[in-house]
Amino acid sequence: MSYAYLFKYIIIGDTGVGKSCLLLQFTDKRFQPVHDLTIGVEFGARMITIDSKQIKLQIWDTAGQEAFRSITRSYYRGAAGALLVYDITRRETFNHLTTWLDDARQHSNSNMVIMLIGNKSDLESRREVKKEEGEAFAREHGLVFMETSAKTAANVEEAFINTAKEIYEKIQEGVFDINNEANGIKIGPQHSPTNPSLPGATGSSGSQGGGCC
Amino acid sequence: MAQTMYSKIDEYGFERPANFDYEVHAEFMGKYMHILVRRAQRWSTLKGKNKFTRSSKLKRFIRKGIPLDFRASVWLQVSGAQKLKEDSVWNYSDLKKKITNPSLIDIIKIDLPRTFPDNINFIGQEQLTGQMFNVLAAFAHQNSEVGYCQGLNYITGMLLLATRNEEASFWLLKVLVEKILPKYSVTNMSGLLIDLDVLDDLVRKLDVDIHKHIHKIGMPWAMVTTKWFICLFTEVLPTETVFRIWDCIFYEGSKIIFRVGLTLIKLHKAEILRTKELSELITCFKEMRNHKDIIDCHQFMIHIFQIPGRITDSDLKNLRTKYSKAQNQR
Repeated sequence: MSYAYLFKYIIIGDTGVGKSCLLLQFTDKRFQPVHDLTIGVEFGARMITIDSKQIKLQIWDTAGQEAFRSITRSYYRGAAGALLVYDITRRETFNHLTTWLDDARQHSNSNMVIMLIGNKSDLESRREVKKEEGEAFAREHGLVFMETSAKTAANVEEAFINTAKEIYEKIQEGVFDINNEANGIKIGPQHSPTNPSLPGATGSSGSQGGGCC
Repeated sequence: MAQTMYSKIDEYGFERPANFDYEVHAEFMGKYMHILVRRAQRWSTLKGKNKFTRSSKLKRFIRKGIPLDFRASVWLQVSGAQKLKEDSVWNYSDLKKKITNPSLIDIIKIDLPRTFPDNINFIGQEQLTGQMFNVLAAFAHQNSEVGYCQGLNYITGMLLLATRNEEASFWLLKVLVEKILPKYSVTNMSGLLIDLDVLDDLVRKLDVDIHKHIHKIGMPWAMVTTKWFICLFTEVLPTETVFRIWDCIFYEGSKIIFRVGLTLIKLHKAEILRTKELSELITCFKEMRNHKDIIDCHQFMIHIFQIPGRITDSDLKNLRTKYSKAQNQR
């Protein structure tokens, strides 16, 4: 399917906070209670509509364990948006946010939109991190904040789509240089004036892309 | 094993994937059963106290597959794990009593239910789950440089399935991580970063068209091959194929990983070159396990010693030195 823009996202955060489950809920609209752990980097994609434009989100889901950072770091560059996820039932995953944020800011382009996500909001009885704490952290560091549940799907669409809206607004404001792919934004094939082979390319990707990408 | 041919659970307890091709599998098993019987007979002719001592004959035997009954003892013997155990000043059961570090215990426990949820031996409180915890925690306790690194859970799970012996699994894990494999599981995965560059180099030498195409699409090798190195093809290839590969890794070392990787890539040349964008290319790599020549693990193991050509230990050592210098300069 053709698209006006492609945005690259990266999902980061401690191991076991539900990064892969958020992605699966967003791309496949289902929840897998026992999800395989992510070794290295996984990949997902979905089309959304903003301002009646088709936008393809290409999402890189990373392993949360410390050791994998040497691998996952290289994916910050070239990402327009990041979902930084913690688990509201495990305080330590919240405590590590500063490290994640430092890492992200250091290795990404400065305009990357970061959305802070407190996941597992369905587990209210086991909550260790108050919603207000998440809000305060986000305010302090200039992030957008949301609590989500990959299990019930609460706020999952919103998290991914609101991030895209922020990126889209930045494009409108001219903050992002959309001709530089290192910013994690690509103009869709039919929108690019410089590529003469377009109609064919669009057609073939449309027929093969299927539901996945 | 014959009756499991049509079961939804394979002979190691894994649920077969939804897209599992029973027809291809049945056809392969028809042939493979005969091979297994013949190999078992041949192995039973190995006699004497030193029957599993390293030799060119044993190496040849191992490349053709170790029968399940012999696997644990052969792996222990040829890998040096047995010697490691005999030379050790502490023993495994004492080590287990020292597992007290709460953060280590927590981090391993998070991963237990996430390891092989599709295997009947690891669901809930099944025996192997507890054994996996013991092995991982004991290992982490005695090796603080590695501690617990994700990926070791899969390796340990597979070791338990193959050996059905907790202590043997511990020593095999130790010999793999500390002697056989480069530094894949240490804090910064330096060995993995180097080997990804080595793989890129070897692919370019093997087939320049494939190499060009992968670079044109812009797929980093880490995306699709991290599991090759970190999990030694667990969760990547069919279980029987994985064990056949491990037979050779325990004898011949980590160069086998490259032989397997290069063979997978070369066997899929047409499919790889047909891909037009990143997501298609990634899908192509993910679906390699369904290839007829890979399900037929016996044929696949013949391929891995032919298709990539000659790769010697010293070639590999030189390449690793070269790319380790390059890494340091980055």
